[in-house]
Amino acid sequence: MRRPVLFRRLLILLTAGCGFVAACAGESGEAIYRRLCVECHGERGEGVAGKYDETLHGDRPVDSLARLIERTMPEEKPELCVGPDATAVAQYIFDAFYSPAARARNRPARVDVVRLTNRQFRESVADLFGEFLPPLPPAAPGGLRAVLYQSKGMNKKDREVLARTDAAVDFNWGTNSPVDGITADQFSIAWSGSLIAPHSGMYEFRLRTPNGARLYINEALRAGDSNRRDDSDARRAPALIDLWVSSGGMTREGVARLHLLGGRTYPLRLDYFKFKETNAAITLEWRPPHGVWSVPDAVHLSPDPSQPLVVAATALPPDDGSLGYERGTAVSKSWHEAVTRDALEVSDEVMTRLDLLSGSGARDPRRSERLHAFATAVAERAARRPLTPELVASRVTGFFTPGLPPETAVKRVMLRALTAPQFLYPDLGGVPDDFTVASRLALFLQDSLPDASLIGAATRGALRSPEQVREHVRRLLATPPARAKLRGFFEHWLSMEEADDISKDERAFPGFDAALLSDLRRSLELLVEEVVWSERSDYRELLLADSVPFNARLAAFYGVPPPEGAGFQRVRFDPAQRAGVLTHPFLLTTFAYHRSSSPIHRGVFLTRNVLGRFLKPPPMAIEFMDDRFDPSLTMREKVTELTRKDACMGCHATINPLGFSLENFDAVGRFRTVDNAKPVDAVSEYLTADGERLLLRGPRDVAAHAASSDEARRGFVRQLFQHTVQQAPAAYGPDTLARLDRGFLESGCHIRQLVESIVTLAALHGYETHLPPAP
Amino acid sequence: MNLLQRRQFLGRLGLSAAVMPFLGGLPSLATPTASGGRQRMIFIFTPNGTVPPHFWPEAAGADFQLPRILTPLEPFKSRTLTVKGLCNRVRGDGDGHMRGMSCLLTGIELFPGNIQGGSDTPAGWASGISIDQELKNHLQSREETRTRFGSLELGVAVPHRADPWTRWTYAGPNQPVAPVDDPYLLFEKLYGRMKDQESLGSVLDGVHQDLRRVATQLTAEDRDRLEQHATLVREMEAELKSVREQKLEHPEPVLEPGAGTENDDMPRVAAMQSDLLVNAFANDLARIASVQFTNSVGQARLRWLGIEEGHHSLSHDPDLNESSQEKLVKINVWFCEQIAALARKLDAIPEPGGSGSLLDHTTILWTNELGKGNSHTHENIPFVLVGGGLGFQTGRSLHLEHTPHNRLWLSLAHAFGRDLKTFGNPRLCEAGPLALG
Repeated sequence: MRRPVLFRRLLILLTAGCGFVAACAGESGEAIYRRLCVECHGERGEGVAGKYDETLHGDRPVDSLARLIERTMPEEKPELCVGPDATAVAQYIFDAFYSPAARARNRPARVDVVRLTNRQFRESVADLFGEFLPPLPPAAPGGLRAVLYQSKGMNKKDREVLARTDAAVDFNWGTNSPVDGITADQFSIAWSGSLIAPHSGMYEFRLRTPNGARLYINEALRAGDSNRRDDSDARRAPALIDLWVSSGGMTREGVARLHLLGGRTYPLRLDYFKFKETNAAITLEWRPPHGVWSVPDAVHLSPDPSQPLVVAATALPPDDGSLGYERGTAVSKSWHEAVTRDALEVSDEVMTRLDLLSGSGARDPRRSERLHAFATAVAERAARRPLTPELVASRVTGFFTPGLPPETAVKRVMLRALTAPQFLYPDLGGVPDDFTVASRLALFLQDSLPDASLIGAATRGALRSPEQVREHVRRLLATPPARAKLRGFFEHWLSMEEADDISKDERAFPGFDAALLSDLRRSLELLVEEVVWSERSDYRELLLADSVPFNARLAAFYGVPPPEGAGFQRVRFDPAQRAGVLTHPFLLTTFAYHRSSSPIHRGVFLTRNVLGRFLKPPPMAIEFMDDRFDPSLTMREKVTELTRKDACMGCHATINPLGFSLENFDAVGRFRTVDNAKPVDAVSEYLTADGERLLLRGPRDVAAHAASSDEARRGFVRQLFQHTVQQAPAAYGPDTLARLDRGFLESGCHIRQLVESIVTLAALHGYETHLPPAP
Repeated sequence: MNLLQRRQFLGRLGLSAAVMPFLGGLPSLATPTASGGRQRMIFIFTPNGTVPPHFWPEAAGADFQLPRILTPLEPFKSRTLTVKGLCNRVRGDGDGHMRGMSCLLTGIELFPGNIQGGSDTPAGWASGISIDQELKNHLQSREETRTRFGSLELGVAVPHRADPWTRWTYAGPNQPVAPVDDPYLLFEKLYGRMKDQESLGSVLDGVHQDLRRVATQLTAEDRDRLEQHATLVREMEAELKSVREQKLEHPEPVLEPGAGTENDDMPRVAAMQSDLLVNAFANDLARIASVQFTNSVGQARLRWLGIEEGHHSLSHDPDLNESSQEKLVKINVWFCEQIAALARKLDAIPEPGGSGSLLDHTTILWTNELGKGNSHTHENIPFVLVGGGLGFQTGRSLHLEHTPHNRLWLSLAHAFGRDLKTFGNPRLCEAGPLALG
């Protein structure tokens, strides 16, 4: 290794005073790369096993890259490549393979043929059968319908006394009657309506009463469900929680779990009666995903009816999220088994509702025919397109054989349909047709199957122009499942999934508990919802808002005046202190340690998610050990000390200033001016991706930069595209993001219009060129 | 089995449940059966009391005649034991029918509650475990007697409601166990996974062909994904095939389709349920069972006997009403025929790895919620035991005097090697188990 050093020194001497170093020396950036770098980094920056096996890519501007090379490369001999040489190499690798643009150019992205993601699988299953029931208008929030009855002995509903709407079911009447006109010793109440599930996931329900009660969720009403008499023998639906028979006046508790899909409504019924027990009381509680045990409020209850849903509840192995969005690329044994088991369970569940769904009872003389028609419709819906007569023969009729009950045939058709590639792989490549467009629209907007209206439009050839498509996009975007999917994007963008299992030091932060955290999540969700669904739907408003929806509990904890009115209302903050989502205490709490803030976590979040920049995983995992530092240091000083090495500063030069700008917030997101008995220093210098030096004095400067930065905005467009389409944007053309970004900017950064544009563009991809002649 | 139960049932099977269901937990597949010495017990309930003069043998001891109602048991007379003089002495809340039913196998009071009968105070569930569940827990607690289900709770024409009149077996205080009265659901519970395998087997090949066909039209990277999928489907097919080649020792019965759970289906359902029960015992899926015909206060109309009136209404008619008494006798003869048919089926199957038949290692116990319908008495409740599962001395008629029935449950527990000092209400257990051996 001596020789190159000597040679380099010589070269520098020879080329001193020359304007174009590389040119004068006759050695290009590429030549230097080949000579000094290729041994460890490979021909095209792909890495070399045993030396440096990571690919060289990132988003540093050339001068930043050059400085990094000058300081650190080649490893252990950085003096070999400095000054103009470092710049030449930086320019070469930037153009050849390092920059995002180079990577896009080198490996032209393409649309992968992928299976349904877990979310898409569950949503599709629910909608596969949902369309066989008559549609109901969306259930509007507002509590449950309650009908109160006077009972008489065995007759629980002897006389209807009152019908009303209850915001929640949480009553303790003691020894009293619930309402005038009913005796206190015996009465009954029937609550009915819908449960509105905010998130997808496992829900727990808890019913408590010293009296009799049965809870039904996601069950269709059956004859006999009125529970009029104790000794009535009508066949009723199985209760989710059955506490019908009381026990010595003791308060009993029943708990059950259900997997529900977010953005959907489920029929809910609660039958209750008191008969001569001393006390009367009943409470219905739930624990939604990310939530705490609480009484579901009127926002999540509706007096309107809903149709029951078929829910696939088997746990599926997690989807690949390595590119920052979920993709159905992994086809593993465990996935295949889980999907098969789900197909079995779902078809079993459908069998229990077969009469309802097929519209044919056990004594129907045309049952076999009707079941065949039902099975055909299921197979077609699962394939997202009409089946040819040959396919109907092989996928449906073939299962209806003499000697086999038609019900068994239906079950097999369903199994076949749910495990077929045409269902599991929604876009099997090939030349797209009208039904492909319909299928993509449903998938991109709702993660689900096309509805009857889309299939109808496809059949008529009315999904061909961007205008026709956009009309459906607008219609679908307003539906609860589409809103749920968009909500999912923001949860992802704001890393809200990472907030589960957060705990904070109880002594340092008295009053910060699971309930407060749940309120914080709700507050951030509401902030996002309000902006996204407002008329302007302005992305910049998310970053710059100077008020946040808070309830009384949050206001008290964060020391602001309580909001006027009940529930969550906007509370204004000092705009100098806080800005939009960036300083929302939920995020500040998520990106913090048990007791102290974490500028690194906050900085990484801002770099990647908000400013849209790329960061490679850290070269080594270094745990932040608070007790290793001089105890008098501030958090900023500790982080500076921890990351001062050049190897770290490659990324931390970007991460740290952003994280430090939020140092005015402690581990639960309260504003502070002192850290460890020293004044907080939130000022730093930050180098943007465009090479501009920026003085950041606090969160508002970061937010203002994010709101005006092309890079940040493009990052947002890219992330929203990936979440919506679940493919690489470049697969839809090299200028896809640029086109979408231009439109986004022109629309005043209108989020919903951006979704519309993304979906329209991606749904028609490859289709325009193959337009069939109009019918 | 409703959907929730089915979910939990499937959930217990683990991830590979869809394809690997029979590779564990089904002893009968491990072909050579373990050593003999199995003990089994079937509790059978029929409602509304009996017609005592036609039910109880006049003579006590080994030299006795089977009265009219018991004549169907003639072929099993030497293996039959009648026990007269047992009483349900449990008092407390609830009307006579509720206590007759829910205190029968539990021997303990009902909780005060909110279910009101035609008389007496309202009541809730029984406050203790029932003897069948006690025996099941005992057998399941030991490796050598553990079976896949432990116990099976069957019903015939049980109403679709849950209250102290319709439940007689309890897993513990306030924990009634619902009987399965739909033979297709019972079949599903016992053999559902086999049906799932058949259904799966019928679709996998088509799916595999689809995947292969679709894959050929794709670019290399995408094709790999679908071919990987196709390979997984082939593997699942192969696993299924090898699993399905294993046969049950006693193949599952073929159920004729179309039997409902309505009144008029009772004879068919009774026959199907007993076929399934015998098959489950033969395959050693369980060693304890209960069969509940209708419910306490059951109003079955046995039209196939030419009887249009409801059973409970008839049971209220006075002794002097000869026509009603004759009908009640016919009804009870029919019930006894069901017991005899079950005994016959058990007797036709050799005891695996043991001597004699299944019946020689099984005891059927037939009982009732009342001694007599029109008096609602809890004295002299019918108890007939058929078979050799308990090692009791059979072929005799036993006359006891006002003995709490809790003591019979103690005898059962002891016969199963469970040396309980008391069962149910301890006050009713004084003097310990009955000496029946």
